[in-house]
Amino acid sequence: MSAFAIEAYQLVKKFPARPGTGDKPADREASPAQPKKRSLWPFGKKEPKALFTAVDGVDLQIQSGEIFGLLGPNGAGKSTTIRMLCTLLEPTSGTAHVNGYDVVKQANEVRRSLGTLLAGERSIYWKLTGRENLEYFAALYHIPQAMAKQRVEELIERMELKDRANELVEKYSTGMRQRVAIAKALLARPPILLLDEPTLGLDPQAARNLRELIAQLKQEGHTILLTTHYMEEADQLSDRIGIIDTGKVIALDTPEGLKRRIDQKEIIRLEVTGWQEYIGEKLRALSEVSNLVARKQGEADLWEVNLQSSNSRAVLPKLVENIGQNGTRLVNMNIVKPSLEDVFIHLTGKALRD
Amino acid sequence: MEATLSPQSLGRPGFISDLRAFWAIVRREWTIFKRYPSWIIALFIWPLIFPMMYILTARALSGIDGSGLAVFTKTTGASNFIGYIVVGTTVWMWQNIVLWDVGFALRNEQMRGTLESNWLSPTWRFSYLLGHTGPQLITMTMFILITALEFGLFFGVRFNGSPWLALLVMLVSVPAIYGLGFAFASIVITAKEAHTFVFLVRGLVMIFCGITFPVSLLPGWMQTIATWMPQTYMIHGMRAAAFANASFADLWPDLRALLLFGVFWLTLGYLLFRWMERRARRTGAIGQY
Repeated sequence: MSAFAIEAYQLVKKFPARPGTGDKPADREASPAQPKKRSLWPFGKKEPKALFTAVDGVDLQIQSGEIFGLLGPNGAGKSTTIRMLCTLLEPTSGTAHVNGYDVVKQANEVRRSLGTLLAGERSIYWKLTGRENLEYFAALYHIPQAMAKQRVEELIERMELKDRANELVEKYSTGMRQRVAIAKALLARPPILLLDEPTLGLDPQAARNLRELIAQLKQEGHTILLTTHYMEEADQLSDRIGIIDTGKVIALDTPEGLKRRIDQKEIIRLEVTGWQEYIGEKLRALSEVSNLVARKQGEADLWEVNLQSSNSRAVLPKLVENIGQNGTRLVNMNIVKPSLEDVFIHLTGKALRD
Repeated sequence: MEATLSPQSLGRPGFISDLRAFWAIVRREWTIFKRYPSWIIALFIWPLIFPMMYILTARALSGIDGSGLAVFTKTTGASNFIGYIVVGTTVWMWQNIVLWDVGFALRNEQMRGTLESNWLSPTWRFSYLLGHTGPQLITMTMFILITALEFGLFFGVRFNGSPWLALLVMLVSVPAIYGLGFAFASIVITAKEAHTFVFLVRGLVMIFCGITFPVSLLPGWMQTIATWMPQTYMIHGMRAAAFANASFADLWPDLRALLLFGVFWLTLGYLLFRWMERRARRTGAIGQY
């Protein structure tokens, strides 16, 4: 048996491109030389379907007991990868093993090895109580009755749901529902946990509590594959991080290792009011500037502009000169240590939440 | 192959575990059903409303003195026109409710977001449909009993056949009615929308199976189609068992046809479910709304 809790080799998933959804056909099964007229006869030879490649040759080897963060923007292929690993989706090609079991040929064994958090609060029944939900899923995961009762009580206690365990989930807050969903994933005490965007939609305090719980679960020996588009979360929790973009893993290392990749770069963070895109174009044209990303902050006309430079001393006067024009005003400026987000921008040329 | 990672899963696979999972699905459905108060309307009001439309039409057509009813008795052989109509409309409502309820069971889970979390467990997936059928059978039995009580109480309908034989016809009808529901459930997950199919099927049952008139009134080609629909035999068998004092031997042709239809529709329902399950793994249809 392999030493890895999860391993995937050249995992590919293609879907038929859906018209009007922005899916870009990555390739075709066979490209017709000439556009053909659509036939009204439904049983004739069908035209080859355009395919959209959601995951494009992903390789992953996740050690037992490790927290592995899969980081990428929406639509990068994170959830599709997780769905293949938890047997909801069949790979178009490539192989994957979870706890030593093949995700296609031994799907049931894979499901027994996994606790999965997908779709968060929507993954539980709102017309059942928290306790009823857990008892129900304990039976689905084949936990013997006496053991299930004990385990449900243990998790209700751990998730601080005791006072409201007998209330309908529809009366819970988002954070409480998320805790029930996580308890559901932990019910069978599975060796491997797949957590897809676990803190999405939670308030800061609830998100912090959840991050603490994830760290505890690692201490208890669980292997955790975590997908997120929150950089700080991935940075704080993960032993290693894979950055995924357009279906490919474009970097894989420890958080520190990833940050070292742009050590020679300096990160300049500006706060600007009255930002105009043409200024961005002018700054991008400067030879010392790379990977400039501007993002509006809240409702006010305040923008955060991040850029990378190999020589901040030379570029700072040029920045000040270019920004102080036509009502654009520099409010604040810092030279900061590179974060994972800067690594992501460096690798992809775009911000994570673009 | 044994898993080597720690912690070790608490799950213990086996037949008993699968049975417990099935029972948990039945209990979940029953609990959720009870928490929507609209079930009172479904159980007490509906059994009266739908047949009333046909009963009042029949009263109007039979004339002020009801003399036209003699023609009806001559054509159908049934002296109790209300009972005759109620059996037909009840079978129609049974099939209709199964199509909406069992047929949309997985789709409703999909829209709620809970289908994936069920699908992620190691439970035998057909249990989700079978488990949904349990509470549905209980509520339908209550529905039929309440129909009998209400029409007995308010319209003086008296059953002069064997209740056990009527129950037998109902039981033998279950595989065909629910097999069709299972087939629908898989089609709905794939097509995302199947209202037009439901309207079509219940329309066909209404016209071809003789819910308020004898099938013999239909033109020959329509009678041929009626012989291919299990609801025709259900209605015929139930009427004979409940009102014509039919014996088991009298009912056997209907029972045999229903058993054959049951085998066909259950097999088709299961095969379509397996096809949908495999297709969903390729296309990701389970997680799509």
